[in-house]
Amino acid sequence: MQYSSSALVDKYLRTRKIPSTACSGCGLGINHKIVIQAISELGLEVADIVWGTSIGCAGRQTFATWKGDGFAGTHGRAYAIARGLRIALPREKKIILTVGDGDAFGIGLMHLIHAARSNADMTVIVNDNLGYQSTGGQFGFTTPQGAKTDSSPYGMFEHNLMSEGMDVMHILVGAGATFLARHVAMDGPRAVESVKKAILNTGFSLVHMPFPCPTNFASRELGSRNQVNIYRWIRDQAAPLGEEKENTVWATGVWHDKSNSRPEFSEHVWNSVDKIRRTGSL
Amino acid sequence: MKRFLETGNFAITEGAILAGCRFFCGYPITPATELAEAMSFRLPQEGGVYLQAEDECAAMHMCIGASMGGMKAMTATSGPGFILYADPYGWALGCEMPMVVLNSGRVGPVSGITGAPGQGEFYLTRYPTQGGNYEAVTLAPNSAQEAMSMVVEAFYLSERLRMPVTVLADQLITDGFEDISVPENEDEIKEMGFKVWPRKSHTGPDFYPFTDELDVPPVQMGNNAGGLCSDWTPTVEGFDVEEVEAHHQHAYRLIYKVRNHRDLFNHLYDEKFMDDDPDLVVVSYGTPSRVVNTAVDRARAQGLKVGALRLINLWPFPDEHFSRSTKYLAVELNWDGELVREVQRAVPKDSTVNFLGTCGDLPTIPDLLETFEKILKNQPLERKGWILEAW
Repeated sequence: MQYSSSALVDKYLRTRKIPSTACSGCGLGINHKIVIQAISELGLEVADIVWGTSIGCAGRQTFATWKGDGFAGTHGRAYAIARGLRIALPREKKIILTVGDGDAFGIGLMHLIHAARSNADMTVIVNDNLGYQSTGGQFGFTTPQGAKTDSSPYGMFEHNLMSEGMDVMHILVGAGATFLARHVAMDGPRAVESVKKAILNTGFSLVHMPFPCPTNFASRELGSRNQVNIYRWIRDQAAPLGEEKENTVWATGVWHDKSNSRPEFSEHVWNSVDKIRRTGSL
Repeated sequence: MKRFLETGNFAITEGAILAGCRFFCGYPITPATELAEAMSFRLPQEGGVYLQAEDECAAMHMCIGASMGGMKAMTATSGPGFILYADPYGWALGCEMPMVVLNSGRVGPVSGITGAPGQGEFYLTRYPTQGGNYEAVTLAPNSAQEAMSMVVEAFYLSERLRMPVTVLADQLITDGFEDISVPENEDEIKEMGFKVWPRKSHTGPDFYPFTDELDVPPVQMGNNAGGLCSDWTPTVEGFDVEEVEAHHQHAYRLIYKVRNHRDLFNHLYDEKFMDDDPDLVVVSYGTPSRVVNTAVDRARAQGLKVGALRLINLWPFPDEHFSRSTKYLAVELNWDGELVREVQRAVPKDSTVNFLGTCGDLPTIPDLLETFEKILKNQPLERKGWILEAW
């Protein structure tokens, strides 16, 4: 088992892209490490995984970090690309997508829902920096209610996808996702365990992982780019599922686990094609 | 050969299968719906996959994903769906992912008239996405049989040029019933002039050379070559950079791999009575060219020196056919005049260029003959009712 970052980097990542060009103090690297740690603990090799990303901080900073095959899709469409790719890939190959909150829950939500509906085998890691940070810091659909951003100078007053019982996780459960978890970047080994479960599900898995953005989000909402402040702010508003407090924004842990409970998309499609080819009907 | 009385959509499906297409993803839209239906029936029989997407944008992205996994893929739509391809079309151009896109034109803009033919996407197929810095390839058949050939040709070109290729048809071609011959064996495939180009295996990890060379295998996911492709400016290896020089190199390849290989397209045109220096050259593509051909025959019988030039390869635009200084008439299925602008650009300065446009319906032979006569007598052209636009 490899726990040191350098050993994980040597085995799985391209040194040209590590360290990344992310801002000083960015929490994305912690999420990235959690995913690589999970891959390592599962004993997976570089050749076992095709790595896809999207645009924005999360996509740009993780693109081409994986030593194996990797692609970056257009805004919000990585899930559609991955579904097509899923049909063409050998069954045993895993697809991991590291995307952002705007990509998954904003521009790409429809495609995400259809990926969940079809139970396409992919693990979507939504690295949530609480808004659109690579464009300078505008609110997104998981920006906490009331947060001040460049496009919500009076506080974010729209309903978001985590407020008043309309959590995006419930949408994805309804859409048919077979594994869902939420963790903040500080969750460490608990998050690693959830990502491992997500990868082991032969179907649609998503792990929502909010992480600290000191440069834009923290500077507007907390009035400080001090990394410690935003790390504490997120940590203090997170609690394990079932142990939520009054101020809990992020309830962490496994939200939904129906792993391997229904046919996986590409397997289902190819089995159907095979049957039609042999018998002329389904 | 097996003969059918069938639609263009049927012919296109058979052509795609002959070309090795085993993945189709679409979204129902008139008049390309029957193509999706035919694919859903035929592809599983051939061991291929038909998928229906949540929208056209997803449909083309899913095709890209399948192509990136090594499958030959195709999607089809009409104008209002084609506009939703803007996003994935750019990605496929930039990542150099081969696939074929069929657009069956109807009357626009927006939804317009759904069940009638139009040619409003002449320029849209040249600029199917934003940003510039690329060449696009568009082929325009004028019959169901030729639609089959052009789909095979489009797959061939898309593989060799490593890019998406558009086949631009119209409602009459895709929905119309015609006599169609489908080859049944290798000899017949050859006899019909079909070139089938296999997908080349990418052994990576490099993304591409900064050259105009053909036959570079597309980056493939899942073969462990460490291939990379993204929507950003790529380095030779596929890493993303923000450098003007690197982007110029990338753009150079996207532009000149097409511009420097005109020989791939030279045969894609048709002409009639063009050998004896005609006084009027009638330029068209797609379905209207069939009416034009008949009208030109009649004009010749009346002693008018009229020739017909039919473009099959619309983009890159075949400038070489427009070297004569003479009178030109562009006949199109739109009222704004699109092809005519490109003809105006391509002809020698002392030529005159006229336009005749109908939309939703074909021009009539009497209208065409009257227009030929007026042009040859140097009389001005004008709108006729709310049917025909001419200048």
